[in-house]
Amino acid sequence: MLRSRFILITCSLLTLVLALALADLSFGSISLWSLQGDEVMFSTILYDIRLPKTLTCILAGSGLAMCGLLLQSLFRNPLAGPYVLGVSSGASLFVALATMVLTSVNISGVFFAGKAIIAVYSIAGAFFVTLIILAISRKTKSNVTILLVGLMLSQILGAAQGLIEYLSNADKLKTFVMWSMGSVGSTTLSDLAVIGPLTAIILLTAFFLVKPMNAILLNEQYARNLGINVNRLRLQVITITSLLVGIITAFCGPIAFVGISVPIASRLFFKTAHHLHQMVFCMLLGASVLLAADLICQLISTQFTLPVNTVTTLIGSPVVIYLLFKSKLSIG
Amino acid sequence: MIALRNLQIGYRQRKKAIPVFSGLNAEFGAGELVGLMGDNGVGKSTLLKTITGTLPALSGGVWLNGKNIGAYTASELAQQLSIVVTERIGGFNLTARDVVASGRIPYINVFGKLSPADEAIVAQSLEQMGIAALGDKAVDELSDGQRQKVMIAKSLAQQTPVIILDEPTAFLDYNSKHQLFRILKALCEEQQKLIIVSSHDLDLMKPYIHRSLTMEEGNVMRLT
Repeated sequence: MLRSRFILITCSLLTLVLALALADLSFGSISLWSLQGDEVMFSTILYDIRLPKTLTCILAGSGLAMCGLLLQSLFRNPLAGPYVLGVSSGASLFVALATMVLTSVNISGVFFAGKAIIAVYSIAGAFFVTLIILAISRKTKSNVTILLVGLMLSQILGAAQGLIEYLSNADKLKTFVMWSMGSVGSTTLSDLAVIGPLTAIILLTAFFLVKPMNAILLNEQYARNLGINVNRLRLQVITITSLLVGIITAFCGPIAFVGISVPIASRLFFKTAHHLHQMVFCMLLGASVLLAADLICQLISTQFTLPVNTVTTLIGSPVVIYLLFKSKLSIG
Repeated sequence: MIALRNLQIGYRQRKKAIPVFSGLNAEFGAGELVGLMGDNGVGKSTLLKTITGTLPALSGGVWLNGKNIGAYTASELAQQLSIVVTERIGGFNLTARDVVASGRIPYINVFGKLSPADEAIVAQSLEQMGIAALGDKAVDELSDGQRQKVMIAKSLAQQTPVIILDEPTAFLDYNSKHQLFRILKALCEEQQKLIIVSSHDLDLMKPYIHRSLTMEEGNVMRLT
């Protein structure tokens, strides 16, 4: 891809993200611009509700899309993604354990400490599942096997979570179920002060993997022959994805669809295999998708906020199916 | 350039050695097209994996320019020896040029940026294989013959004195097979590369190769 084209697409996507972010800040149960006379109300809504939510969409959207891209390239399979491989389920199960079994953890608390503990569990869960997937990927060469194992793992973890839910009491169950539906609206600016820079640093680290990721796209034998330490690359990808999925899942719940579909869409829209380009495109597209989903949640109803998962899946999945049929080229 | 000395090849499973072939001794120099022959399962691929440093030797060793293959770092080796394997690649928007450009990976920075000099080498490699017009095509859309040319162009871009090809004619039709060997022979003679090709098709290789290493059951090795 030509440099000028890369810059043009990046600028267009940046404009899209900015426009969607601005719209996301403006609309909701009350339009922000109708409050201009009321300073207190204006700043309360902007700083306590809208801005954290908008920033969370950007962070979570770009982070999950990055994870999907890294996993799809590593396994050379467009079906890979944090949700499909069971990574999100792992994070989910560990959070279920923390909130419903270990009674000391209070998920609904607005204090960062509670969320930080959730994040630790969530990262541990994500890491645990990714390690299993990694171990299996060394035993088998078949990507189909790995994906099937991922799907089975998802089921097992889901069943274990169901068991915990069944045995839990009503109050705890409700908070957990609300969390598991995915929400970008429960983070505060002080949460973001911690997870924002953290996520940004992890995302930046991913850019140091551009060259080995380009090599692994051929296959592992070629990558090794090109001087790439494939085992180290696997560990790096696993670490980055479990940290990102863990942090994002802890604060937003398991968000489906973005991780797997954004990289697919990005490859369909932007014809490049280069990871420097695809990483930038995926992050910006991921942020746009989640912002748009949140915006749709707001516009559908002013009375209540829909869980963001329902929108990403209900609107996003048909779009990807359409794109897949429209494009003649294989994307994976 | 490459020397096999009392080489025993095979696998290790839980510290137990499972030998595939023993007593390999040979020496190959620059400008030679070497045919590695033998029936399926005799250990040709295992030998090639050992030569490329992917699989450690059970005993003895492979020497490249007087240095044991195991003593090279991965990035040093990437500038000495390139491979073409049987597994087909493609998808993920990979174009022929992307694949050939990946040959420059051992030489470029961490963000994968090609310098104008690298770009020129990639263009030249495509040109040499006669596939300059296919550069922007997706690898998926190419024929098997064209794909093999892309993989060899990748090896050329990698600028290694040694190229190893494992069963490169497996998916090719009659004409493409002969064309491939004509190209390999020309590369050896014009660029003084050492090229080792494995194949079980003796009749196909014979008119082109300079030397042959035949492996037969019972650790029988014949060298010409």
